[in-house]
Amino acid sequence: MAVLQRVPTSTAKTVTDNTPETSFFLRNEFLIRRVHSLLGIVPLGLYMVVHLTTNASFLTGTETFQRAVYLIHSPGELLPVIEWALIFAPLVFHAAIGIWISKTGRDNSQQYKFTSNRRYMLQRVTGVVALVFLFFHILHLHGWFHAEFWIDGVRALGFANFRPYNAGSTLAMAMNGYIWPTFYLIGVLSCVYHLANGLWTAGITWGLWISPAGQGRASKICVAFGAILAVISLTAWWAAVAPGDKDIAEMKKVEDRMHKVALEAGFIADMPEKQWVIESEGESNSSDAKADDSAKSDDDGGEKEAENLELSSPDGSGL
Amino acid sequence: MIAFDASQKRPEFIKVRIRRQDGPGEKPYWELHQITYEPELNVISVLQRIASQATNSDGKKVAPVTWDCGCLEEVCGSCTMQINGRVRQSCSALVDRLLEDNEDELVLEPMSKFPVIRDLMVDRQRLFRALERVKAWVPVDSYYNLGPGERQLRDTQEQNYPLSQCMSCGCCVDACPQYKKIELKKEAGETDEAFEARKEAAYDESFVGPHAISQAMLFNNHPTGKALAGERLEALTGPGGIQACGNAQNCVAVCPKEIPLTTSIGRAGRAATMYKIKKFFDK
Repeated sequence: MAVLQRVPTSTAKTVTDNTPETSFFLRNEFLIRRVHSLLGIVPLGLYMVVHLTTNASFLTGTETFQRAVYLIHSPGELLPVIEWALIFAPLVFHAAIGIWISKTGRDNSQQYKFTSNRRYMLQRVTGVVALVFLFFHILHLHGWFHAEFWIDGVRALGFANFRPYNAGSTLAMAMNGYIWPTFYLIGVLSCVYHLANGLWTAGITWGLWISPAGQGRASKICVAFGAILAVISLTAWWAAVAPGDKDIAEMKKVEDRMHKVALEAGFIADMPEKQWVIESEGESNSSDAKADDSAKSDDDGGEKEAENLELSSPDGSGL
Repeated sequence: MIAFDASQKRPEFIKVRIRRQDGPGEKPYWELHQITYEPELNVISVLQRIASQATNSDGKKVAPVTWDCGCLEEVCGSCTMQINGRVRQSCSALVDRLLEDNEDELVLEPMSKFPVIRDLMVDRQRLFRALERVKAWVPVDSYYNLGPGERQLRDTQEQNYPLSQCMSCGCCVDACPQYKKIELKKEAGETDEAFEARKEAAYDESFVGPHAISQAMLFNNHPTGKALAGERLEALTGPGGIQACGNAQNCVAVCPKEIPLTTSIGRAGRAATMYKIKKFFDK
């Protein structure tokens, strides 16, 4: 308190006599916001389209989805670097600057009820929703970090549920119940709106569409893009939410069969942490298990597996 | 003249709710006034009636409501205020029309983005400061005869004319969600000059506003004005420049002169993109 009391008399003059220094953010505001705009499209927007399309392919079958996931995971040990450099780092930057941007404005869409003003407001609302959604989405399925102690820790809390080598079954398992599916539905549709509308405003920002007529045409294109992406995302959502326990058991069988072959062919790296191993099966599915043993246990273990599913979902929460 | 339909039933009185403020930085308060209905009033004439009464609806004597006006034909911009929640000029706000939308009362508020001096009168210094920031003028000092100017294409003229209609009223910035109010208070012992410098510094790093972006585009498109094109784009890409726009597009919707402000913003965005790329690689 003593320090605070001394401040007014001594520093008030120096503040008023000098021009206040412009903050780093303000001095580089143009560059920062253009980078924010660019990152929203490439890589984030582009990644989102690929991600949602890949997930929508799950509807056509376990194999299609698993093949796509194998392809994504083919860099093996290098994948975390790619993830962080091309997705997570841009995402964190886009989110942080996004919060700052939303704080530079003050919504008045209640006073001026124009469509474009509502879009402006929604862009900020969906941005914040997408931020919360993506934080929990990545934690829920991916876990953010790959370090063993971290993954073990978050798995114990019921997160990091996705096992890439059992892509379909673990995804469907993680999407059980009502809370997560609802959360994903709201989150994904927020992301879709944010991308489609963001594409439109980015076009104005960069000077692509200028006249009201041009912006109107661009708006139609962006709405069409958003509608298509919404259909894709709903497909992806449904593909993950629809499977029941029996379907999941079937998927797991297919995935384990594919895993054995893909590993033998050298198509994927041997990473047991990316696999879903049911305890009672013992070592049958682990990488160094003998092929003969697992083949045998697969024959008579099918029913037992299905029973175990309900008890030992990978997240252990049953959510 | 607006045709007045005498057969239509008109009210006996008009209630006017005014958001008053006794001085800069003081607490605003609402006050209700009532005037006798007359046909074909505008908001300025309503304010004149209220000033001559200087009595609120409870019959209590109050100080006359202060407002600002000039041309009375929607070309000076000084009578801009919020009428029934929407920013516009009070001279061109016709009461009969306003009563069609809301027959109960007229609601008058000062502009929301500028410091209130008193009642409905605001200090729009920041608006004009923004024009200085983007050098919204043609750099000719008339020191010696430069001869006839460059010929302007018909297309350019047609593009520029709407932009030249801007009267700096401030409607665009008042409706803009990215343009936030800045109101500084003079500190004890601060000289007028120091306060002025502090105010200008604060204004200079805040959003310039759609009007200034549009004027920058007008003069960058002018044969002589374009001599300062680089300096204008430098200002527009500096603190509070074009990047602060959030594309809510309220500016163009409320502009009384229907100036294509969002087109100017789009053009400024394109010019800024090219300018920055050029600047980076031509260095």
